[in-house]
Amino acid sequence: MTALTAAATGWYVYGVVGGDAAVELARDLRGVAAERVRIVEHGSLGAIVSEVPLDEFGEEALPERLNDRGWLERNARAHEDVLQDFAASTAVVPLRFGTIYRDPTAVTALLTERADAFAASLEHVRGRVELGVKAWTDRGAPAARPRGAAELRATGRSYLEERLHEREAAARAGAKRFEIVQAAHERLLALAVDGVVNRPQPRELTGRAEEMVLNAAYLVPAGDSSLAREVALLDAEGRDAGISFELTGPWPPHNFVDEQVDRP
Amino acid sequence: MSSRDLAAHSQGSAHPAQLADVLERVLDKGIVIAGDIQINLLDIELLTVKLRLLVASADKAREMGIDWWEGDPFLSRRGGDGNGALEQRLRRLESAAGLETEHGDEDGGRT
Repeated sequence: MTALTAAATGWYVYGVVGGDAAVELARDLRGVAAERVRIVEHGSLGAIVSEVPLDEFGEEALPERLNDRGWLERNARAHEDVLQDFAASTAVVPLRFGTIYRDPTAVTALLTERADAFAASLEHVRGRVELGVKAWTDRGAPAARPRGAAELRATGRSYLEERLHEREAAARAGAKRFEIVQAAHERLLALAVDGVVNRPQPRELTGRAEEMVLNAAYLVPAGDSSLAREVALLDAEGRDAGISFELTGPWPPHNFVDEQVDRP
Repeated sequence: MSSRDLAAHSQGSAHPAQLADVLERVLDKGIVIAGDIQINLLDIELLTVKLRLLVASADKAREMGIDWWEGDPFLSRRGGDGNGALEQRLRRLESAAGLETEHGDEDGGRT
């Protein structure tokens, strides 16, 4: 039956789980395009999939859809939510958004071909969660200005000296912030199984006045709150330097599954 | 431990999952597998450039005279026809806004 409908639908793959308990978890879940979530099982692995309409997810339609912010947000969140649902009770290896096959046979073939890599990734993330840590700073947070600066304006020379002081102070503050962030990452890494530093998100995307100076993710044992406590501590310590720390998650382990992967 | 418990430790994060964080993970992380349907990465690149404007800086963009999303059938989700003309207009406005530059802060404004 599925082979006959393959012309009109594709099989969207969210991620890979151990096959055992996964079928139960998929019950009643809805994913991208509000389609039912199910499991394609093969051996000890299961692929989390939804049958999706190709007039939305086909090669011609998808690029257009990706540029529709409403569509993208809805479906990116749906992708994430499905992974979250599984991650809450079992190990899951997230796939990137938009992995789509023409029929379930091809999904089975994927599980066959990459069985060892998926099994290794599942082992790596089992019983662990990803936490996000971001650090923020006020852009150009004014470095402490020398006292009595106003009086020094009397002469051109003192004016220049003042500017020079300010520039030096700003450079010192920048170096200090870098040190703080660097040290923070090392402290957090010491509490984690694994960690990765990503490119800071641009202000246009974060919508915040502060500048993001750290965008990191850490893999930690589920239920272990030591990293969360450390983030709170870092945040308190960083206040004087104008740096705040923020924790997000737990996330499915998006950042910690690509060791065995050959990126195209 | 629930996400609520963890979020309680963090400062100023009212939303457990901000769109930027979700997109970063879902579009940029996770295992990359070439399925039968190919997503053109360039499409996503273009998209992130647009998002940089759309998500956060509507006011700033308006100051710069960019308001194309208000009439864009893709972005306003109304569908509709005349896409060719709108696409062209979109492209014109984007290049006028300097959106091809690498850093959003350096968007130089109109010519």
